[in-house]
Amino acid sequence: MLAYIVRRLWQIIPTLLGVILLIFFLFNVVGGDPAYLLAGKISNPEQIANIRKQLGIDEPYYVQLWIFVKQVVTFDFGSSWSTNEAVSSIFATRLPASLMIGIPLLILETVIAVVIALGVAYLRGSFTDRAAMITCTVAQSVSILVYIIIFQYVLAYKFGWFPVQGWGNGFFENLFKFAALPILIALVVSLAPNIRLYRTFLLDETNQDYVRTARAKGLSENRVMFVHVLRNASIPIITNLMIQLPGLLVGLFLIERFFSVPGIGREVILAVERSDFPVIKAITVYVALATMLANLAADLLYKAVDPRVELK
Amino acid sequence: MKTWPTWHSGVTALASIASIAMATLMVGCGDQSPKSAKQDASGALASTATSPVQSVDGKKVVRNVFVAGESGFDPPTAHDLYSSIVVDGIFDTLLTYDYLAEPARLVPKIVTEMPVAEENGTLYTVKLKKGVYFSPHEVFGGKKRELVAQDVVYSMMRHFDDSIKPVWRFLIDGKIVGMNAWYDAGKKAGKLDWDAKIPGLEVVDSHTLKIKLTKPDFNMGYVMAHPAMGIVAREVIEKYPNDAQSHPVGSSAYYLKEWTRGQKMVLERNPYWRGGTWDFKPSGKDPHDEVIVKQMQGKPLALIDRVEIYVIEEEQTRWLSFKDKQIDLMNIPGGVTPQALPGGKLAADLIAEGIRLQKMVDPEYTYMYFQWNDPIWGGTETHKVALRRAVAMAIDRDEEITVIRKGQAIRADFLVPPGVVGAKEDFVSSIQYNPKLANALLDKFGYKKGADGYRTTPDGKPLTFKYTSQSTALEREFDELYRKNMEAIGIRYEAEKEKFADSLKREKRCQIQTRGAAWIADYPDGDNFVQLLYSKNIGESNNGCYKSAVFDKLYEQSTLLPAGAERDKLYMEMQKQFEADTPWVMGVTRLRNQVIRPWVIGYKKHPVLLAEWMYYDVNMSKGK
Repeated sequence: MLAYIVRRLWQIIPTLLGVILLIFFLFNVVGGDPAYLLAGKISNPEQIANIRKQLGIDEPYYVQLWIFVKQVVTFDFGSSWSTNEAVSSIFATRLPASLMIGIPLLILETVIAVVIALGVAYLRGSFTDRAAMITCTVAQSVSILVYIIIFQYVLAYKFGWFPVQGWGNGFFENLFKFAALPILIALVVSLAPNIRLYRTFLLDETNQDYVRTARAKGLSENRVMFVHVLRNASIPIITNLMIQLPGLLVGLFLIERFFSVPGIGREVILAVERSDFPVIKAITVYVALATMLANLAADLLYKAVDPRVELK
Repeated sequence: MKTWPTWHSGVTALASIASIAMATLMVGCGDQSPKSAKQDASGALASTATSPVQSVDGKKVVRNVFVAGESGFDPPTAHDLYSSIVVDGIFDTLLTYDYLAEPARLVPKIVTEMPVAEENGTLYTVKLKKGVYFSPHEVFGGKKRELVAQDVVYSMMRHFDDSIKPVWRFLIDGKIVGMNAWYDAGKKAGKLDWDAKIPGLEVVDSHTLKIKLTKPDFNMGYVMAHPAMGIVAREVIEKYPNDAQSHPVGSSAYYLKEWTRGQKMVLERNPYWRGGTWDFKPSGKDPHDEVIVKQMQGKPLALIDRVEIYVIEEEQTRWLSFKDKQIDLMNIPGGVTPQALPGGKLAADLIAEGIRLQKMVDPEYTYMYFQWNDPIWGGTETHKVALRRAVAMAIDRDEEITVIRKGQAIRADFLVPPGVVGAKEDFVSSIQYNPKLANALLDKFGYKKGADGYRTTPDGKPLTFKYTSQSTALEREFDELYRKNMEAIGIRYEAEKEKFADSLKREKRCQIQTRGAAWIADYPDGDNFVQLLYSKNIGESNNGCYKSAVFDKLYEQSTLLPAGAERDKLYMEMQKQFEADTPWVMGVTRLRNQVIRPWVIGYKKHPVLLAEWMYYDVNMSKGK
């Protein structure tokens, strides 16, 4: 097991190098020159050149690339070119807000989707199953923007159940007051596809011989579904869950923007718009790392859930 | 100030459309809250309404909104409007603007009297008020730190510190005797000498400064009032060598109490605020000025204790926050305008809530330039002038105003926009929308139509109107309009899309054929606009790279004159030359519609001042 983990961790290095090269290439080819944005309204070539020097983008490519590699190794990406705020500070101050929405959302959507999926899988072909699937299909077809706009207008503005926007200073104030509606909207949006997906995973299992055998042995339906079927369906569910984990690092841009949540999603979009390379570099590297680590964690969880899985 | 394009991803563009749809519903369903205020005969509010903020300590709070995030609050580096607003509230400048005067008029802020242009506009003597103190900061060692003349000198010198990436250097670049030489010497030495004496900035005593200019400049007063010239304390800047923008310490009415980047800023009154009395006269142009004077005359300045600023980027969220009484005043978002202002008047449900509308014309205009170096579109040959003029006559600005701007703009005809010194508001350009005449002009100068219905150049080359812009919802609307207008005169239209940074880069190199731009006054004087066509500003602000010896000569003459009839005459000559060459198609001047809650009293959006907090008041309910 340890050898497997070490081997997988080693594999991160070449992958990360590939990511570094790709980001560097994309930034220099299509990224736009930030010096022109930072120079203000009236600037001359000398001032532009000065800014390029300050940013280090007048250096030869190999020097810039080496600096990038050093930044990845030290996890010090410097400061934002646009606001001069340290990139580490951007993550430290924005990530908590994104996670406050993202983590409860991930937990709630997984638990609720699995429970509903179990129910409809058990009732496969019934009116309830069909109604649930039609509802999911319709719900999935509606843009998240429509949910945001309607929920914000109706639940926050008209009914006053939630604040229209905002963010406070206290953990519980944020979680139960300001994050509640964003979580609810994101939950409504994400439930439909997850229910359909998990239902498929569960149906694959309910058709297996071991389920028929379990029933023949007289096990209760609850035991068959919650213990045997769910356990065997948990591998694809874990995979799906792990795929979503790195997404926590990039936040929910639209939700954050509409509800004025000071999260990382908004910063990422702003960084792209402003050609703010230090922030872009950091977020891309962090997401790449998180993806690789989540994949590793998923593989280890497979083994924990199903001892027959071999890690090679 | 250049209006940077609103950044939209495709998704946010969709959001805008959806928001507009919801806005219809929102206003249609508008809250019919009981009236909280009565209207007086002039339509102004004799308000008894109080803010819903429950201020426990009795502090007066006003809640503002920014539509985009700020970047930082160091005067020489604040490059976006929203940072500049906060900078204006925190830092003192030598001069400021009369709160009500129209057109905008300079008045002293921390000087005892208005500096007079001496020696033919090359010398200004500035006498600072005594008792102007920076807000408290640990670097002052617990003592009150007075603002002195050397602070003004240091603050000006900082515009030449490349390490902080200053963006407002152009305001004083090459203007102050010895300043550029000091900069060049510092560059050569690899370090600027902050203790050096600049010959053009003579500190006579702790409260007197003589500013000597390299040539006559009658606009120096406007520079002295610009927020970028906010005065800092050297000790504070040196304490935060790489991050002064996060630690603003000024001497004006407010200081930065809290800051959650991109989300919320809280300013509170400077404990060492010098005070002052509200004393302004009605402009005579706006009837509401009388009401404001009645409400505010003789009161102390900076009555508001706390200014809360929220960054709310989405139109729907902003509007709902205002309707939900979380925001006290704001600009009506574009998408909501048709419903909030049916027929140009405030909607009945908003009036019922005691909300007041203030309409104003921004000191700005939009324009579309032709590349003067382009072999087909630029130059002074008669057929090229005819081509540009034909395009200018084919662009339907009235449709732009009605459809794209939703009625919230007026045509711009003169090189100096309304509300700016030197403007000629009744001027009508000789170039008006007339596609029939445009076609005739093109026919006459040999731009023949081919079998496909599109014209070619007189020597038979393909003719395409290539318009560069960004991929935003607004720009797509312009593409539709311009395509229609160009096809009406048989010219092929091509929309070229690229990142804004790339456009700026190519523009500075005179490589863009045609692009739309906007210019908002840095200072309310015609000079700030006519300089856009001066050939020595190519690569800087003359983004069409227009070159005309006649125009240049007129411009240079105008810079030597103070505002007045003689200079206005030169501006008219420049306008004639401009129309003769047609290097631009003039666009529109946009209107601003502010809605103000009834508990905000004495408020008026100033066309140039960025932070008006010290000039108005808020009726507060009693705290619990």
